[in-house]
Amino acid sequence: MTRLAAALVFAVVCACVLARMPLHAAAAQAQPAGNQWQFNDEDEQAPGWKDVVRSQAVDLGVFAGFTVLALVSFFRKDKTLKYVTLAACVVLLGFWKSQLITIVNIFGLISLDLPIFRYSLAWYLLATFTVVSTVLWGRLYCGRMCAFGALTQLMDAALPASWRREPPAWLERRASFIKYGILAAAILYFVVTRDRFIYRYIEPFWMFGFHGSIVMWSLLAVLLVATVFVRNLYCRFLCPVGAALGVLSNLTVFQIKRWKECKTCKICEKACEWGAIQGPKIIKSECVRCDDCERLYTDTKKCPHWLILLKDLKKAQPTVAAPSR
Amino acid sequence: MRRFPSLSPALAAIAVVCALVSLAAQAPAEARLQLQLKQLFPGATTFSPKGGDPPHFKAFNGQTLLGLAFWTTELQPLERAYDGPIKILVGMDTKGILTGIIVVEHHEPYGNFSVDTPGFAAQFRGKNIRDAFKVGVDVDAISRATISVTSSSRAIRNSARLAARQLLTAPTQ
Repeated sequence: MTRLAAALVFAVVCACVLARMPLHAAAAQAQPAGNQWQFNDEDEQAPGWKDVVRSQAVDLGVFAGFTVLALVSFFRKDKTLKYVTLAACVVLLGFWKSQLITIVNIFGLISLDLPIFRYSLAWYLLATFTVVSTVLWGRLYCGRMCAFGALTQLMDAALPASWRREPPAWLERRASFIKYGILAAAILYFVVTRDRFIYRYIEPFWMFGFHGSIVMWSLLAVLLVATVFVRNLYCRFLCPVGAALGVLSNLTVFQIKRWKECKTCKICEKACEWGAIQGPKIIKSECVRCDDCERLYTDTKKCPHWLILLKDLKKAQPTVAAPSR
Repeated sequence: MRRFPSLSPALAAIAVVCALVSLAAQAPAEARLQLQLKQLFPGATTFSPKGGDPPHFKAFNGQTLLGLAFWTTELQPLERAYDGPIKILVGMDTKGILTGIIVVEHHEPYGNFSVDTPGFAAQFRGKNIRDAFKVGVDVDAISRATISVTSSSRAIRNSARLAARQLLTAPTQ
């Protein structure tokens, strides 16, 4: 049911965007006869695709390279490579380019004020990848392509685990709905006032450009101090973009597999940094595909699925198993 | 069960407030526009009301035409930046030299609001509209605001050239 609803919403949004996306740059105006000004008219012509790509080659290269890195780390389930991805994310997409998917993009979708495709290829690459990857695998963007999420994950890896306080499950489950409230309130506020600048107070992403008022920096300080004790606090409970992608992630095509033993086993549930596992179920909208549980369930020494399988195997072939002791 | 109060009185109230606010905003907007035009043409004594095709203001010192001012959003309505059009008032003298630009309204978030800074506007003062206006070549690049800066530069150049073609005689070189 949620899948169907999410699919419908997704289809409608896609149709609206495709219908309104400024695919074509403004056509150069007709030249009046006797162009006495002798302007170089080529300046005004919409550039050909070769020029377009050449002038945005650096941005495109950075985004394409980073996307490949993120995907390789995801498919190889490699922990080291994941942290390389996160560090690259903070540096490249954070401090260098300050290119994050933000609530402003959701406002842009609502008012259909999107950048011109031809002149903003890198942004469209990032936005398309975000949407497509969320439909295919879930909140992959949140897990390794958002610079702020990457920053708090790196913080968590660097800080001693003993400082960490895990909220009780009942509180965590309820708190995770706050972000949907923030998303709904922000959208309502935008629709009524058309004021986009509320983003500064509901998202900390401006920090990568160091543009902030004293109030904003103070709020960020409080948030970061709280994040020391409750890991990934912002992503799990507060982020409106995460909430929007969470809605979309109900469509997830390639979901994390579960064994039948997952009904009783709690190892992954305890290990999940994101509070996304509840008993046998993975809450898709909370999961950011961090690989932690997937690494565990392929681990033949830790996962009961394999341990039981091995035990059964030994039972079935006692004579074969015996000499090897 | 309690019934929800009808929404229509609330909506009507909001509509009335909006109408009043927009009426009250009219007069200061006109005064602000005069100040902005004065900023682009400090030597001007009078400004014509907006008119003509493409729509423009004329700046006069007595009877002498000093130049034109126009909105990029009116001359280049299809131009878009990161989040919609950037509304820029451009001043240009009769020889195709920009007397200045004022970024009046934009919705650019994050680093993109760098188009707001005095440094961004200052580089267009005295710029010849025959220049290419290429970001990274003759317009400063801002690493976190590529989309906004390229869009603004295109809007300024193309609207200024449009106004020049239609309204001014090219100076003999």
